[in-house]
Amino acid sequence: MNLLDRILDPFRGRAITIPPYDGAWRPNTALDTARPVAALPGADNLCADGAGVVWLSAGPELLRLEGDAPVAVARYGAEITALCAGADGALLVALDDGGLFLRRGDAQEDVRGLLPRRVSVTAAMADGAGFLLAEGSASHAASDWPRALMARAGDGALWHIDPGAGRAERVAGGLAFPAGLARTAQGAPVVAEAFAHRIATPDGSRPLLERIPGYPGRLSPAAGDGWWLAVFAPRNRLIELVLREDRYRADMVAQVPPEYWIAPALHSGASFLEPLQRGGVRTMGVRKPWAPSRSYGLVALLDAGLRPQASFHSRADGQRHGATAVLDHAGRRLIALKGAGEVIELTGDLP
Amino acid sequence: MTLAERLTRLRYNRVPDHLLGEILAKNWTDNLVPFAFLIVVVATFGTLLPGFFSTASVIDTTRQLGEFLIVVIGLTVVIIGGGIDLSVGSIFALSAFSTLMTIYVGGASPGVALAAALGSGALFGAFNGFLVGYLRLRAFLTTLVTLIIGRSLYDILITTWGTRLQSSPIFNDSFDAIGMNSVAGLPISAWIAVAFTILAHLMMSRSRMGWHFTAVGGARRSAYNVGIDVRRAVFLTYVISGVSSGLAGYLFAARLSGVGPGTGWGLELSALTAAVVGGNSLGGGRGSIPKGLMGALAVLLTTNGLIRMGAGTGTSQMVVGLMLAAAIILDVRWLKNRHKVLSEVYVAPLHHAMQPAVSAQPGSGTSYALNDALASAEPIALGTVEGPEDVILDADDNLYAGTRHGEIVRWFAPDYTRSEVFSHIGGFPLGLAMDRAGQIVTCVGAMGLYGVSKAGEVTELATETRRSLLSVVDDARLRDPNDCDIGPDGRIWFTDSTTRYDAHDWALDSIESRPTGRLLVHDPKTGKTRTVLKKLRYANGVCLSHDGQSLLIAESWACTVHRYWIAGPKEGQLETVIRDMPGYPDNINRASDGTYWMAWLGMRTPSFDLALRHPAMRRRMTRNLPQDEWLFPNINTGGVVKFDDTGRIIATMGDLGGAAHPMVTSIREHKGWLYIGGILNNRIGRIRLPGADPDWTSWESYWGARP
Repeated sequence: MNLLDRILDPFRGRAITIPPYDGAWRPNTALDTARPVAALPGADNLCADGAGVVWLSAGPELLRLEGDAPVAVARYGAEITALCAGADGALLVALDDGGLFLRRGDAQEDVRGLLPRRVSVTAAMADGAGFLLAEGSASHAASDWPRALMARAGDGALWHIDPGAGRAERVAGGLAFPAGLARTAQGAPVVAEAFAHRIATPDGSRPLLERIPGYPGRLSPAAGDGWWLAVFAPRNRLIELVLREDRYRADMVAQVPPEYWIAPALHSGASFLEPLQRGGVRTMGVRKPWAPSRSYGLVALLDAGLRPQASFHSRADGQRHGATAVLDHAGRRLIALKGAGEVIELTGDLP
Repeated sequence: MTLAERLTRLRYNRVPDHLLGEILAKNWTDNLVPFAFLIVVVATFGTLLPGFFSTASVIDTTRQLGEFLIVVIGLTVVIIGGGIDLSVGSIFALSAFSTLMTIYVGGASPGVALAAALGSGALFGAFNGFLVGYLRLRAFLTTLVTLIIGRSLYDILITTWGTRLQSSPIFNDSFDAIGMNSVAGLPISAWIAVAFTILAHLMMSRSRMGWHFTAVGGARRSAYNVGIDVRRAVFLTYVISGVSSGLAGYLFAARLSGVGPGTGWGLELSALTAAVVGGNSLGGGRGSIPKGLMGALAVLLTTNGLIRMGAGTGTSQMVVGLMLAAAIILDVRWLKNRHKVLSEVYVAPLHHAMQPAVSAQPGSGTSYALNDALASAEPIALGTVEGPEDVILDADDNLYAGTRHGEIVRWFAPDYTRSEVFSHIGGFPLGLAMDRAGQIVTCVGAMGLYGVSKAGEVTELATETRRSLLSVVDDARLRDPNDCDIGPDGRIWFTDSTTRYDAHDWALDSIESRPTGRLLVHDPKTGKTRTVLKKLRYANGVCLSHDGQSLLIAESWACTVHRYWIAGPKEGQLETVIRDMPGYPDNINRASDGTYWMAWLGMRTPSFDLALRHPAMRRRMTRNLPQDEWLFPNINTGGVVKFDDTGRIIATMGDLGGAAHPMVTSIREHKGWLYIGGILNNRIGRIRLPGADPDWTSWESYWGARP
């Protein structure tokens, strides 16, 4: 069948399809109407430590959220790509260039040396006395994910470090850009593979959630049971086509500036040099909310078995795109929108 | 350019891929399959059976063909009208019977017998038509019932009268002659069939009644809505079918001078097979008499051939049944998938290497750098106008624009809050110009060039030009007339942007990037229209230069402005004024200071420019993705560019956010203001032009006294 398909495909043309926003993924405008907390260009990570302090990052800046006001705490040499509070109250700060620090109060320890090579961490999760680290791609930095996608990188890995014992080991490899970490109800770690649009066990043997209609990113625990998933970019059929078109893609990567690629993005529409699809043409002053788009705002609430329960959207005509982190802490549900450069809060009852 | 790219260019620019789509778009492609099938049948039996096409054999075949064909034609009319008639065999037998009764029992002339045959056919057909047309019973069951009733009636009659018919002492030579004689080598029945076929074809393709049948079969509700008497049309198709069967029965009776219990038995199956094998769709609305002819030939040759090869009745019936099944499957599959196939293969992209453009990035410091000047334009008719592609003002400062509802709307000076429908044209009015008398000349999408007088009366100026010798699409048609301007001598110069896409699909032309745009000229004095330039990549704006000697022509997908000399020493020459712009040019109009305004309908993007060099990728895109997902040039950001006769860029304005004027398709300067239109916009904008002549109007510039 496979061979027959391959022979026939050039003649009949095969439709490229992507999962629709349906069921628990049904679109709404919940992100557009959510309460604004703070405008913060580059807002990316959110986490709370044992003392109840809410930490966030924006570019190279580490900040603390006091009420609704972000207060700058420290500035690093590169973009902060992961934040995680450890079991002993330490705060792990991972940088795009591979930097890895453990902060305790104002003191900090450089733990980069634990790892055998430079690891650009996309997400971290406390694990026993140490941390689990997701490395999006061994060949690309965490912030360079569009290039990694265009290269169809499948060299992501999962690391376990134990700073107390001074140990580090690679737990799994060959992952399609892992960008989020969570646990099953039994406590086994699972990883969100952004480029495979799924959440699965690190060895890939058991997918828990597949056909996610976007690029899944960081996972964080929800109050009660379950998990929050930040889907940082949408799937798009033209992009799926480009991912199959090797010659065009190679030329595009070589000749076109990355911000104008036919590639998913955290935000779009800023420049007239960006690609446009027919459905996105503004007609009679209106851009359709269901227009194909390179960027999208999407956050999902998953149950303890990582099945989607509800989703919160900002559609093609919205602005609150590129959600990268959710923090459900002390009765507040904060969302960092790296694309829109904003922190917002979901209020009210969940469906 | 690398070798691989050169090869790609050769492959996609030399191989005429676009012809496949153009041929498939033709209605006559429906005939290709039955025609090929007929050829196969002829070739097969011609080779297998020596003497199958000898004169004697052919004459014998045509004798049968005459009767069979007439029945098939009648049935074809019913099928085109959206029905089915299973009772043709019964009507055939009953008519043959009444013919013979009239002659051999009644002793009447063949003429009276013909009237009896046609009358009984018409009566039976009218009965069918009444039940199906007026009482709206289901055609299949109704004619199945009348098939049974007719057949039983015939059986009763033939057992009662059969002996009397056979023992009748009457001989009628003229009646026998109709069945036996030939004229010019062909049997009389064949001549009658030919005449009948031609008449039926003319009726179906050229007469009001035939068009009504097709309309009713194609879309009953729409036919009703446009005022066709649907019930009467359905009724008439059955009457025609009945009359046809009656005529065929008459010819059959004349040929054999007798009837038996098996007369007309199974005729409905073979006639239905013939009609469907010929390509008439059982769903109605798609079909023609020539299709019925092809089907009749194919079925008759097949059954005769099989009988000659010694196959039994069962076998030949089986083959006919299989042919019917195959034809129905093909019909259903083809009808269902034809538009899919067409939309998948129609777009045939070319390799087109655009040269790098000067940056239009804000702050880049180039003359093309876009700003936000249009974002603050004062809106006119916001939310009430849809698609003002072009705008024009008259001597009293009233504003006119076309809308996608097919109207030209007039807004009254000075505040443009009151408006009226100035004239209704029906097609989408695009480019506008005003002649010496104040008449508006407009290019109407998919229609042609029209004039609208000051009183709002519409006159057709030009709707066709001379057809190219070798084009498959009918390029005599003006498919996408876009912008026009008027020369000092009154000749109207206008562009037809593409011959490949309809006006509303204009942007798809950019994906293909095939140069099919034209410049045409219409002379109101002679009424003639002539093609002047061809092979432009979306010929768009056209503007008469200030000296009246040349035209400026925008070639949108090439991002180029040309000058075409219409007078003076360079008359007839084409030269390029501006090339490799970062935006796609649309309409061009005069500015008050002796320069020109040009609208940009969109901006080039690096990803689209690159895609233009990858035709195979674009081709797969059009085949594997729905249209809404296709990569487009960025037509969400446009602009306005001012340039002079040498092609020097003087100023560029834009709306970067795109909230007010995302796509700009036209601009018109009038008394110190610049009016802005956009084909996908919901407003007309105007901005004050600082330092512009506050008395200057475009009309004065064209027709006023020259200093």
